[in-house]
Amino acid sequence: MDIKQMPAIDKDTLKSENLVLNMGPHHPATHGVMRLLLELDGETVVKCTPYVGYLHRGVEKLAEDMTYLRALPLTDRLDYISSMTHNQGYCYAVETLLGVEVPVRAKFIRTMVCEMSRIASHLLWIATHALDIGAMTVFLYAFKEREFILEQFEALCGARLTVTYPRIGGVRNDVSQEFIDSVYDFTNYFPSKVDEYERLIDRNRIWFKRTRGIGVITAEEAVNYGLTGAALRGSGVNYDIRKLFPYDAYDSVDFDVPIGTHGDVYDRYRCRMEELRQSNRIIRQCIERLPKGAIMTKDAPKVTLPSKKKVLTSMESMIHHFMVITKGPINCPKGEVYVATEAPKGELGFYFISDGEGKPYRMRVRAPSFVHIAALPKLCEGGLVADVISNIGSIDIVLGECDR
Amino acid sequence: MKKHLISHEPKVVSLPDEKFSFKNLLKDIFLTEIISGLGLTLSSLFKKPVTKQYPHEKKEAKQGFRGLHALARRPDTGLAKCVGCGLCAAICPSKCITIYTYEDVNHDKIVDRYELDILRCVFCSFCVEACPYGAIVMTRHYEYASYSKEALFMTKEKLLKNWDDYMSDEDALVYFKKYWGPREEDFVGHEGQAVFRNNK
Repeated sequence: MDIKQMPAIDKDTLKSENLVLNMGPHHPATHGVMRLLLELDGETVVKCTPYVGYLHRGVEKLAEDMTYLRALPLTDRLDYISSMTHNQGYCYAVETLLGVEVPVRAKFIRTMVCEMSRIASHLLWIATHALDIGAMTVFLYAFKEREFILEQFEALCGARLTVTYPRIGGVRNDVSQEFIDSVYDFTNYFPSKVDEYERLIDRNRIWFKRTRGIGVITAEEAVNYGLTGAALRGSGVNYDIRKLFPYDAYDSVDFDVPIGTHGDVYDRYRCRMEELRQSNRIIRQCIERLPKGAIMTKDAPKVTLPSKKKVLTSMESMIHHFMVITKGPINCPKGEVYVATEAPKGELGFYFISDGEGKPYRMRVRAPSFVHIAALPKLCEGGLVADVISNIGSIDIVLGECDR
Repeated sequence: MKKHLISHEPKVVSLPDEKFSFKNLLKDIFLTEIISGLGLTLSSLFKKPVTKQYPHEKKEAKQGFRGLHALARRPDTGLAKCVGCGLCAAICPSKCITIYTYEDVNHDKIVDRYELDILRCVFCSFCVEACPYGAIVMTRHYEYASYSKEALFMTKEKLLKNWDDYMSDEDALVYFKKYWGPREEDFVGHEGQAVFRNNK
């Protein structure tokens, strides 16, 4: 047909529809298996609906059938990037429930390894966040230091990621002199490495364009959405559980809480970069002040496992050993407890209901990633599709923890 | 409360808003930050590489690594140390250990089968800590990937063979004593508690 014979288009009857785009579940920038249903008007996101649950394993339900000690490896698999802090949060909650006091040396060791874990987590975050936005070099640089920390974990407890190192009432084994020395060396040069990462991207024009003024959330909105961690502090709210409700050895070390003012992706990035330096400070202080003493409490023989020497020489210990393993802690108090700790992602809470048996009647995990994903529509809607990537990166989620 | 907790002053890290200036304009035109960053990457061209070419260049696992399992042999008889108490199976979070025992004519408990599904194991080393005899250990061996499930389903014989392969030399015994054997700790008897007499 000749083009001149075609009927003229009536502009009034033309319809335009929003495009529905499925992002994920296997999108490399969703940091796991999360699906975002984006409704697009051109390049602008009109509506964003996150779908989670692809990594659901039923950790909370599994824990109801396990003794407190036996459920500990499950918490490794929540946030597999920083399993140390999740172990610590779990152990701290159970200790609060059972009324167990941890020796001072164990507190310092736990604080030290948790901050190492926080550094490893933040390094992985800056690596992948920069990679998502388009700066590939940072990825390779950050993994060098992360590898060092994972190697230290391997030397400490025999595993790199799923450590299972903190225990109810202390830690698994004592730190060696080589470990202390090499970590102390690491704290000497690590701040200069953070400067290096910042030299790569901090004042970079492209980085500015991709992060400044993107994903803005005000302090009030951030509090209303329940954001915690660096995502909240980037909006200018001074809230850090390590300062406000100190646990382990955080009340005897000195550190600053970095906050931002704008509440955009860039300020959240700045907060985390400063947290790397502050974590480094904490590790340094922990090593300098590490006291001598026991690493496992001796006051709670009905909760902790006795040493193997004792098991074979003392009848009481033998009975406790068998009872703690098969039935869980003996004479558990009834009641409920909620304990929050500061994980790298935000506030990690463990809630237990105990009915007096050796296993929890109910365990509930308040996972920061889950709450942060709920705020994702707020951050994305009205922005561009390309900014969805930087928003996902900036709230620092891990789906193992979100779906549980 | 300690002193620094009372003065809980946050540290503001966000950058001030950019104002127009001649210096900023020059930065915009010549992209000095990007060049500075590129200079950093260029300088690492002359440093030693940190990557390891894995299959050709193997890395030995650190002392105390939680690798493949093994059942310990008694040094005197050469039989398995395991007495079949079932504590390892009781503490295992993934329920991958199954033990079958029977009673022989002398009324001794004999471990008939000791099965461990490596594919379900989460390598928490709780079984090693729970075992009162130090009968199950974890070796430093970690390269045992296989195409068949059967190869990764450990029976008692296979686990004993693991001990012969990876834990029977002198270094491994030292390693075993240090990491999986009894923890060295001064024994402190509580009041009214039974203590073994020979232990001084």
